[in-house]
Amino acid sequence: MPSEPSPLADQPLKFEAKNLSRSFGHGKKLVEAVKNVSFGIASRDIISIVGQSGCGKTVLAKMLLRLETPSSGTLSFNGKPIGNERDAREHWRSVQAVFQDPFSAFNQFFTIRSQLKSSFKLFKRKPEEEEMEARVDAALMAVNIKPKEVEGKYPFELSGGQMQRMLLARIFILRPQVLIADEPTSMVDACSRANILDYLMKLKQELDMTIVFVTHDIGLACYISDSIFIMHEGEIVEQGPPAQVTGSPSSAVTRQLLDDIPDVHRPWIKRGALD
Amino acid sequence: MLNQYPTLKHILGRAGWYFVTFLVAVTINFFLPRLGDANPVDTMMAKVSAGLDTASAKEKEESYLKEFGLVELDPSGHVQRDAQGKPVRTTLASQFANYVGMSLRGDLGSSILQHPKRVSEIIKAALPWTLALQLPTIVFGWLLGNVLGALAAYKRGVFDQLMYPMALLASAIPAFCFGILLVYVFGIRLEWFPAVGGYDDGLSPALSRQFIASASYYYVLPFLSVFLIVVGGQAIGMRSMCIYELGTDYVKYAKLLGVKESKILFYMFRNAMLPQLTGLALALGTMVGGALITEMIFSYPGLGMAVLTAIQGNDYPLITGCTLLVTVTVLIANFSVDILVGILDPRIRAAQRTGK
Amino acid sequence: MSSPIFEVDNLRAHYLTRFGQKIQAVDGVSFSLKAGEILGIAGESGCGKTTLVSACMGLYIPPLHLSSGDVRIEGKSIIGMNVEQNRRDILGRKISMIPQGALNSLNPTRKVKDLATDMILSHDETADKRQVHARLRERFRKLGMPADDVLNSYPVQLPAGMKQRVVIGISTLLDPRVVIADEPTSALDVSTQKAVIRLLFELMDQGIIGSMLFITHELPLLRHVSNNIAVMYAGEIVEMGTIEQVIFDPRMPYTQALMGSMLSADSGHRDQKPVSIEGAPPNLAHPIQGCRFAERCPVARPDCKENQQVIRIVKDRQVRCQYAE
Repeated sequence: MPSEPSPLADQPLKFEAKNLSRSFGHGKKLVEAVKNVSFGIASRDIISIVGQSGCGKTVLAKMLLRLETPSSGTLSFNGKPIGNERDAREHWRSVQAVFQDPFSAFNQFFTIRSQLKSSFKLFKRKPEEEEMEARVDAALMAVNIKPKEVEGKYPFELSGGQMQRMLLARIFILRPQVLIADEPTSMVDACSRANILDYLMKLKQELDMTIVFVTHDIGLACYISDSIFIMHEGEIVEQGPPAQVTGSPSSAVTRQLLDDIPDVHRPWIKRGALD
Repeated sequence: MLNQYPTLKHILGRAGWYFVTFLVAVTINFFLPRLGDANPVDTMMAKVSAGLDTASAKEKEESYLKEFGLVELDPSGHVQRDAQGKPVRTTLASQFANYVGMSLRGDLGSSILQHPKRVSEIIKAALPWTLALQLPTIVFGWLLGNVLGALAAYKRGVFDQLMYPMALLASAIPAFCFGILLVYVFGIRLEWFPAVGGYDDGLSPALSRQFIASASYYYVLPFLSVFLIVVGGQAIGMRSMCIYELGTDYVKYAKLLGVKESKILFYMFRNAMLPQLTGLALALGTMVGGALITEMIFSYPGLGMAVLTAIQGNDYPLITGCTLLVTVTVLIANFSVDILVGILDPRIRAAQRTGK
Repeated sequence: MSSPIFEVDNLRAHYLTRFGQKIQAVDGVSFSLKAGEILGIAGESGCGKTTLVSACMGLYIPPLHLSSGDVRIEGKSIIGMNVEQNRRDILGRKISMIPQGALNSLNPTRKVKDLATDMILSHDETADKRQVHARLRERFRKLGMPADDVLNSYPVQLPAGMKQRVVIGISTLLDPRVVIADEPTSALDVSTQKAVIRLLFELMDQGIIGSMLFITHELPLLRHVSNNIAVMYAGEIVEMGTIEQVIFDPRMPYTQALMGSMLSADSGHRDQKPVSIEGAPPNLAHPIQGCRFAERCPVARPDCKENQQVIRIVKDRQVRCQYAE
């Protein structure tokens, strides 16, 4: 099913940031989480923001989601500054997110299916009952889960990987223009990660979605991204396509990030060889 | 400047908010009872006017009206009257200004029903009874309830299976039902304890052995009627808090490291206790006004009875005086909890420091 | 060759649910550890790794029960030992565990110093508090932590990486001969993970830790951390051997599928696309007769679901698959 074409879909840049900063606290305790960053995110791209914990990547993602307000600089979505509409829901109809812990995103006292159905509440006009049911089924099939498998089930009855797929099913229902995925694989078994990332790519290919993927693992970023931003201490220190970033990294931070991932084919650390 | 002392800043900030809450509460306290249009002076006049001639009755009425600030005075201090000779009533707003002024001077005025007794006198006489009834029930009930709840959570098994339904029952019975039940069974049927009152009719309050013995005897039923409910409620809350704590990762980790059971029990008790402290302070704060029903059932001469009779007789100064006392104690209790929990719980302290 | 310091012999442990259901979470697990050795245990969530921790430590708190088998530390069985004796002499002292520290493994209302002191005093009641504090400072400093700051902090005041080091520090205070590390790095970013692994290696090299069982679902990590690897599936060990054998030449279809699902920095431009294993591990509340992986196995044959699978030796490693070769 093709998504409804948005009047702004042909805009070249989904997000554009100019000299964007976000700081917390004041005086001596001032922490600049994001420092003067500028970037553009093209429509239908998968962008990864990669860095260690505390590098500011989550704060940046939250600004894109309108959950944090920039301290200075401009951030626009489809050419309009974020935060201008009175109703933040207006923004969330276009920009949605999935987070680390899928369990906290669902209410444990309601069935998964009923919660997926309640996603339609975000729409200005709720579709007919049968259409809602059909779209929930289609979304479940999209993440390779037979609707029967989760019929009448509650969140605690599923594994972390399955729940993360439920979150993605919600995205297949909502069909936002942009998806912000903040460490969606960190609570998923290593052997199911590729799966989750494959669904992100499917969202892009089938629904023309723009995806911002936030992770500390540059390996995951390489797997799905069109472009990678490396963040360090609030700044974007390197950006480019995965082959370039991993093949010939220009920044020491990138080299470190690549170095720190344990890979079966590369040396990592040696016992007894302490440095 | 204060940013260097986040804790002090936090305390001052909280204090500011409590002050605002206080002002709002005081305003509501004043206006709420006065929303009805009953005129207390008419009530008083009905009581005293019998046998007075018109002139002296009028004089009496004027003195009442003046005392309660219900009429406008002319510059010479006489009651202003309109064309029909009726006294000119003050507006609610100017009554309020008068009330605030008096309150700030610590003057709560005099009671209407028990005129000319001062409100502060009535409160002073009733307060010890209420405190004697409420303070021990709340403090001991809270302690016993928490220990029972913690034990039930820790030991589980038969102890829990017995304690839990009993606590549920105790806390679920409405206070008045339980009180009436006690009065009926132990006061009327078995006649073990006096059913109503605070002491023997023949005695008057004094620090004599005879009076204390009598008061203690009368104390048993009202005490039990509140105590058991407090124990039950606290035990249930503490039990579920402890069960939660026992299931946490830090308890599992401590067990796997071979940390002693007594230490783990202490971790559990302390962490489960933090939210319970809030409950204690709230109970202490509301205790002044909280025993209304118990005092009614047992005709116990405390503040609750005083408020009840005041409301029945539109005795505004007394109502406002009592509610002011309740407001102040509730706010002080809440404020102390805020500060105390902040000191005891490092998680909250950290949150205060970062201002989140 | 030295004799093993830790032996687990055909260990079986089960949960008894309130409704009388028996869940065999650990089934016939055997392995042994020599001094200085690290055995990696790999498997996805729900494979019984976490139950194995309690089971190996002899700590059976209902609903977990021992079904059969034996656990020996330095030749002495800890199964059937009096609970209090096990607590005082074994747990934390001979065998210790390292949890995922970024979770709430530290009591939030107690300072690190007090938690560590509780741990020591629980095993040595006569110890003098001041001496204990001095000992703590010395040990934390030795492990490269700012001892005074860290010891006087509450857990909430520490960043995730430091919390994990603190947990490691506390777990190894009594120089345990065996340490079970249960996903110690899975909540950390890659750089902090590396630092934590360095710390563990240092503890091994200094002899503070005798030997280690390292549990994780990240095979690439195990490749660098452990000497030998045991792959667990549905409560059983399905393949066990050296790194060379298990990582680079897996024989069990499950291990092959695990390896095929791993992502790495190079995987974007490698010919083989990572493939996740579809489906979920079986529900252990119902006894399974045949191979437990058969449902999801890409090369399963009709009789795999019927024949009980036993450990076979294939190319020098243990494999629980009748067709592996």
